[in-house]
Amino acid sequence: MNKKFDRVAGIAFLLIGILFFIESQKISDSAYGSSVGPKIFPMGLGLILTLLSIRLLYETFKYKTEDSTKDKLQYKKFFIIFGSALLYAFFLEKIGYVVSTFLFLLIAFQTLERGKVIYSIIISTVFSVGIYYMFSELLGGSLPGFPLF
Amino acid sequence: MDTLQFLADGFGVAFQWHNILFALIGVIIGTAVGVLPGIGPMSGVALLIPVTATITSGMPTGAAAASSIILLAGVYYGAMYGGSTTSILLNTPGESSSVVTTLDGYQMAQQGRAGAALAISAIGSFVAGIISLIGLVLLAEPLSNVAIKFGPAEYFSLMLLGLAAVSGLAGKSMTKAIMMTVFGLMLGTIGIDAVSGIARFTYDQPILFSGLEFLTIAVGLFALGEVVKTVLEKDEETGSIAKINRILPTKQDMKDSTVPIVRGSLLGFFIGVLPGAGATLASFFSYTTEKKLSKNPEKFGKGHIAGVAGPESANNAASGGAMIPLLTLGIPGSGTTAILMGALIMYNIQPGPLLFDEHPEVAWGLIASMFIGNLMLLVLNMPLVRVFAKIIQTPKKYLLPMIIAISFFGVYAVQYTTFDLYLLLGCGVLGYLLSKNDYPVAPLVLALVLGPMIENNMRRALTISNGDFSIFVTKPLSLLFILAAAAWLLVPLLLKLKGRKIIINEED
Repeated sequence: MNKKFDRVAGIAFLLIGILFFIESQKISDSAYGSSVGPKIFPMGLGLILTLLSIRLLYETFKYKTEDSTKDKLQYKKFFIIFGSALLYAFFLEKIGYVVSTFLFLLIAFQTLERGKVIYSIIISTVFSVGIYYMFSELLGGSLPGFPLF
Repeated sequence: MDTLQFLADGFGVAFQWHNILFALIGVIIGTAVGVLPGIGPMSGVALLIPVTATITSGMPTGAAAASSIILLAGVYYGAMYGGSTTSILLNTPGESSSVVTTLDGYQMAQQGRAGAALAISAIGSFVAGIISLIGLVLLAEPLSNVAIKFGPAEYFSLMLLGLAAVSGLAGKSMTKAIMMTVFGLMLGTIGIDAVSGIARFTYDQPILFSGLEFLTIAVGLFALGEVVKTVLEKDEETGSIAKINRILPTKQDMKDSTVPIVRGSLLGFFIGVLPGAGATLASFFSYTTEKKLSKNPEKFGKGHIAGVAGPESANNAASGGAMIPLLTLGIPGSGTTAILMGALIMYNIQPGPLLFDEHPEVAWGLIASMFIGNLMLLVLNMPLVRVFAKIIQTPKKYLLPMIIAISFFGVYAVQYTTFDLYLLLGCGVLGYLLSKNDYPVAPLVLALVLGPMIENNMRRALTISNGDFSIFVTKPLSLLFILAAAAWLLVPLLLKLKGRKIIINEED
């Protein structure tokens, strides 16, 4: 149990619950011939989540903090891969599926473990080109294949 | 006789050559998913939905749905076979339902009986698969006949029961589990309300009008969540793999494990039918039962074959049993079945009592294909177990980026928006953070799938009763479901107060 995370999460969910409740009031309550409109369900959910978050926050005061063994997280690798995945999503439509997938895989392979560049290049190429041709040629799907320029 | 006729038609569907192929691909991928630690059946199925969706895109809806559900279900029960392999050979369970198999399985491997352990778990899984399918065939028709009489109030309460069951058993803290359920329901309300046509929580963003795509969230939370976890946390070196000498079990082994297999199958089946209690729980129960009933319980934990046969049968039977509420009632009882349900809904096919009337080819085709799939698994697993054991050695370096790339491809090919790719990445990080801190994500996905249906049924019931909420407790069946839901949440709580240790269902 991570007390700090539970507190932050409790507050975050509390805010989400309250926000949901308030925002649900803005939903117009036109219910054709029915007394229950589109408002009730989200409103109730917001209320329940708010109550549960308070309960969670209350619980965090009850249990003792365990000495969390600080496991070393590989933040650097994670951020490089996550960042390149974001760029992958951003460039997918712009430079096409084949190129962006190839680049992403190559970077990610090399980030996780340096070396054997030739293998990485071969696998990335086979994967990106293979998926693209399987999908768009054999199955007739549409993917932005290559750069448009 | 009707049932037999339908079953025969189902076999007609399942024996079409492409469906045989789909079942084969499904069970092979499923076994691989089960073998690979880190990818559970849930992420495996979620990851494959978009892939099957694109493969089947040329077919008419009914046939496409039948084919893809055949493949996806194959992944589900195939994973139950594969999960035992790593438990026995490596002492690392490939998925959570094989945790107990490590107790005796690894000991057997140490004694040089790895082959026998693997074979007996394949045989046990096969017997269990067939037993649970027979149960499914027998129960499907009567149950859907009962369910067809349900009104909106009964449905609402039944779905509430499903959600309560999953939240009550998931994770260490019930508060957190229920929070996840409610959060999932909230996410489900985003988009245009199906009844009144009013946009909710969209803030004029056209991309939100159709709501958040279930597929994106499921793939993100499960598959990418696991990737994030493996990238961040340095994994310990995998131990050496035990050698497999002879594969066929001895006569004595067979004799020792026959009763546990049958017992485990029946137990697993009934646990699987219950919502919320999945394969993990079934295998735990089976192990403790075998230990209690055994004449020499001290043998357990030292490489007793019954300790492998029972739980392995139970977890496979549970995955068959879990199909019953999904197909007949339209209520998934676990994370994986929720994802299967989401897949069916993507094809505009609503699981539930009407499924057997409206789309018999889907329902019975799936059931028949599971017979074939189980046979394939038995045939594949006996001689190929060495090959599957090799999969464990797939370097993570190549595996992880490829999982990201496959999920990107899958989500983009179905949704055609980069918004979903960002959502996918966000869900990946969220999934990691949540499950790391004991916030179970399975109830969230289940709630996301059930949310719109719960709301519709609630509103229909309230429209009938003119806004009187007592309709849910005055109808006897509905009251029964609500009481059961309350019991599901309260009983574990009471047991906890008494200081009893309760088994929880991690994810399956």
